[in-house]
Formats: sequence, structure tokens, C-alpha cells
Amino acid sequence: MTTQTLSQPSGALTEPRAVRWLLTGLALAFLALFLLVPLVAVFVQALEKGVETYWAAIIEPDAVAAIRLTLIAAAISVPLNLVFGIAAAWAITKFKFRGKAFLITLLDLPFSVSPVISGFIYVLVFGLQGWLGPWLKAHDLQLIFAVPGIVLATIFVTFPLVARELIPLMQAQGTEEEEAALVLGASGWQIFFRVTLPNVIWGVLYGVILCNARAMGEFGAVSVVSGHIRGLTNTLPLHVEILYNEYNFVAAFAVATLLALLAILTLAAKALLEKKVRQEVKATVKPLGME
Amino acid sequence: MGIQVQKISKKFGTYTALDHVDLQVPSGELVALLGPSGSGKTTLLRIIAGLETPDAGSIHFDGEETTQRKVRERQVGFVFQHYALFRHMTVFDNIAFGLTVKPKTERPDKARIRRRVNELLQLIQLDNMANRYPAQLSGGQRQRVALARALATEPKVLLLDEPFGALDAKVRQELRRWLRNLHDEIHVTSVFVTHDQEEALEVADRVVVMNQAKIEQVGTPEQVYDHPASPFVFSFLGHVNLFHCRSGDHPAGAIASPTRVEGRSIGYVRPGDIRISRSAATSEDYPAEIVFIQGAGALPRVELRRLDNGETVHADLPREKYRQLGLQIGEKVFIRPTNMRIFVPDYQI
Repeated sequence: MTTQTLSQPSGALTEPRAVRWLLTGLALAFLALFLLVPLVAVFVQALEKGVETYWAAIIEPDAVAAIRLTLIAAAISVPLNLVFGIAAAWAITKFKFRGKAFLITLLDLPFSVSPVISGFIYVLVFGLQGWLGPWLKAHDLQLIFAVPGIVLATIFVTFPLVARELIPLMQAQGTEEEEAALVLGASGWQIFFRVTLPNVIWGVLYGVILCNARAMGEFGAVSVVSGHIRGLTNTLPLHVEILYNEYNFVAAFAVATLLALLAILTLAAKALLEKKVRQEVKATVKPLGME
Repeated sequence: MGIQVQKISKKFGTYTALDHVDLQVPSGELVALLGPSGSGKTTLLRIIAGLETPDAGSIHFDGEETTQRKVRERQVGFVFQHYALFRHMTVFDNIAFGLTVKPKTERPDKARIRRRVNELLQLIQLDNMANRYPAQLSGGQRQRVALARALATEPKVLLLDEPFGALDAKVRQELRRWLRNLHDEIHVTSVFVTHDQEEALEVADRVVVMNQAKIEQVGTPEQVYDHPASPFVFSFLGHVNLFHCRSGDHPAGAIASPTRVEGRSIGYVRPGDIRISRSAATSEDYPAEIVFIQGAGALPRVELRRLDNGETVHADLPREKYRQLGLQIGEKVFIRPTNMRIFVPDYQI
């Protein structure tokens, strides 16, 4: 009886058929036009001149160097942001301290500043003409137009992602379990590793996936600090831009398919993890006592 | 182990949660902190546990100052209202937690931990649920696991924050009796917070009635119920009828005369202490009209309106008496308070 009413909504609970089709159709058409068509276009363009040309564009040395640099930047920035994000979320949600609101505001800074500006700030601080430029040069350190600058810029634009994912989750879970562990005699580290972290582990993974996608796809900030030196300081997105500007469309789209695949993988992982994260939150919902 | 609370005060911003509270909990007793929400009872419990720090005053365990001692060194067991079980651990691991986090030198070996946990599982009658997760248990089962977890480390003091608050009525009844029996077995000094007077009276050796950041009265359930120290305690510990009368004329326990209702002091009478009769035996019987009868339940309840001043009076009758009288709505009868307490207010409300 119940399933029947659910599968066939009565007139009182729904809109006329035409309205439903129109609304659903509009939403789907919008998605197709702005998301699906471009995605397909990327792959069509990339494979336009055959699989061999496609493959050649990807294994070309500059492209391989770009892939390697992108992986390095992500491999350094994601773990750092993982540690930072967990620490920040832990501090913000489980402790009371002065300046908490300020810390939360700081956390959002990379979201509110245009990536190009943040890249530019790094140039102003660490560049040759920047504040620390002469000192860095004297010690033979080059940050800007080199790999360290790219890593720094990537860390900056991705650092809110893990924390932002964890804060609402940890807030919903509250601090009762930590208090219980404390009374039972656990030390701070024991509470963290045995109670807090296992409770948010799927949320952490979710944050890492988002952080990784952003780290690999970042263009603006990295573009400013990289200097676009082919084979040396080009990441994947920058390499795509260079190829495109050289009218080498097939190669540009071929490399772009790698980023598109990353996006699709990220979405799939996200969808899987979202369910797990919801369960983490759900387990905290106060149950009714039923025997 | 006895607990001594001395002059504890605590404020949250401008809100006073505790105001110079003194309390002695004798060793081995089961004490209830009873009060309405916001009376400071949970704050007091959390201060004893060390989960809150008092603004002033001190806590002693057996005369030894513990105010500054770290929570994990206090050796208290704490049971949370919403259980606070570790959701990603099985029942077994939850109960074992307190033992497994001990420093290496004090930690019992695996076999001993297993034995201890199995003992506790038997105690809470959940031996076959060791491998379940909290989400797979009912509310009552979760609360028993929470209790076993708190007992695993053999705490010197057991503190329970509204332990049955989130359970339905029937389970609450069972668990209450179970807690009482458990305490009779293991005799650990226990303090539990509740806003349910029935629960406090049924379970505790001693009831501490709190109101507005202060303790109103401490006593055995009989003492606080039969000899309440203040109007608040009287009305919080059960239903009450107010009889207005003049203070000077009536010593406590006397019966108010219906002609003196304009006085300032107030007589308090429990619904069970009202006698209903068909004829006036003495001048202390007031005429009243039956307005409503609720016949179901352990004690049938009769609502009456006094004919002299229009005040509403509730009376609880034993079932037998109720059947014998065969009362009807609209009937005129006589009522007499058989036990009344008069409080002379020292301030005007």
C-alpha cells in the first residue's frame, strides 16, 4: 500500500505531468549543454587525428615532464594539507580558545582571493624583486619560476579543502566521545588516534580527493609563479594552455583528456565517499530508546 | 570513596550555574542530584568529574584535594546521557577501552582484559552482543554498555548524567531497578543527575534537590518527600495543592480555616493527603464540588472546586476508597487535608 502511494504520487502531492517534464527537461538540457557537451568535445577533439597522434602527444617529453611535475606538486601539497586540515579542524571543533573565529576566517582566505592574486603575492614576497628576493638569492635559493614556488602556490590554493570538509562533520559529532575517552584515562594522542580520527576517516578521504583534484588542476596561481619553462616548470594545465596557444589543438585536447579523466575519477570517488560520510554523521543522531 | 564539595561556584558568561554549593557524598552511597533543567546539577556532576573547572571552591575525594587533578587521574567513571559509545568500535572494544589505554606498565595483558570484559558483559546481560556495534543496539542496551565501559577500570566514583533520560518509560523503569540492584552489589560511590523526581526517590539512598544554582535540601527520599524544607522542594517532588491561610493562626501541620483565606502564608497539601467524605464531621471539612474524575491509573484522581473560595483542589484516592465512594461529577462533597505544611514566605512573590 505504502509503496504504491510512493511510486505513484497522488494529484495532491505533485504538479501536472507537463510541468514535471518541463522542469526536469530544462535541468537536463542545461547539464547537457554546459557539462556533457564540452566533456565529449574534449575527447572528440583529442582523438580527431587518430589514437596514434593522441598517444604521441601524451608521451612527448614535455608532456611527460608536465605530468611528473603535476604529480610532484600534488604529492607534496596534499599530504601537507591533510595534516594541516586535520589539525585545524580538530582544534576548531574540539577545543575552546581565543581567536577561533579569526582562524576560521583565515582558513577561507584562499577561497576569497583570486588564485592569480595569490600567485602574484608569492612573486612579490619571494621573487627576485620581492621582499625576501635578495636574501633568497644570497643563499642560492630559487622559489619563483621554479618547482618550490609551484608547490607553495598549490598548497595555498588547496589548504582549506580538507579542513572545510572535516569541520561540519566533526561539529555534528560533538565532543562527547572524546570526553568519554578522557574520563576513561586516554591521553590526548590516544583520544585523537583511537576516537577522533577513526570517526571521520571517510570525511578525511573525501577531503583528500577534493584537495588532490584541485592541486592537479590549479591554473591561476601556478601560472603566475611558474614562468612557463617547458619541460621544467610546466604543470599539466599550463602545458595545455601552451599547446593551445600554439594552435596545436589535438595535442592540447589530448593532454586535457588526462585532466578530464581525473575529474571523472574524482567525481566517482566523491559519490562513493559521500555515502560513507553521511553514515559517519548519521551514527551521531541521537537514537530513541527502544528495546 | 566519599566526595566533598566545598563552596563551588561556576558561571558561564553572566549565567550562574552554581553558587557556593556545599555537598557531602558519603562513601558507598547512591546519591541523586535532582532539579529542573538549568538548576546546575549537570554542571556540578561535570565539575566532580573534572570535565569543567569551577570558578571557585574545591572538590575532595576522601579528604584529598582533587580540584586541580587531571580528569584521567581522578579514576571516575562517567556515564553520558546519550551514551557516547565509540561508534566505530564493537561492544567488546568499547568496554575494553579504559583498560587498553592504560600506560604499558599498568595495562593488564590481553587475556586479563578479555576476562574482565566478559565478566562485565555478563553483568549487563549482553554476553552474546560482544561483536556488535553501538548502532546495532537498542537504547537500553547502549546505556548498559556505557555503564560497563565506565565500570571496567574499577573507578572509585561513578557519575551518571541523566542516565535514563533518552529511554522510553518501560525501559527506564527496568534499568532503574537494575542500577539499584547493581549498586547494592558493588557499592561504588555513585552520583546521578536526574530531573525525574520519581526516579530519584525510587533509586537513590539520598536525594539532593537543586534549584537555581543552589542546593535546596539534602535527605533520604522519605525526608525530602515527607518533610520538604522549602515550597520549591514540596512542589518539585510531586503534585501539590495550595491552601491559602494566615500564618500566625496556624502552626505547621495545622489545618487552615476556610474563613482565613486572605492571609499571606500558604499551606501545602499532597493530593494523597486529601480525604473526601460525603458528610462534614468537623469544622475542618471544606465543602467542594467534583469537577472532573480521572478513574484510570494506580491512583484515581479527582479534581474539585472549593465552594468557599473557588480554589481548585486535586485529590488522589486509593482505588478501593474510590470504588467505595462511587463519586459522580457535579456531586457536592467535603474535603479535609489530613497532612499540611505551612511555609511562611520571607519575601513576596
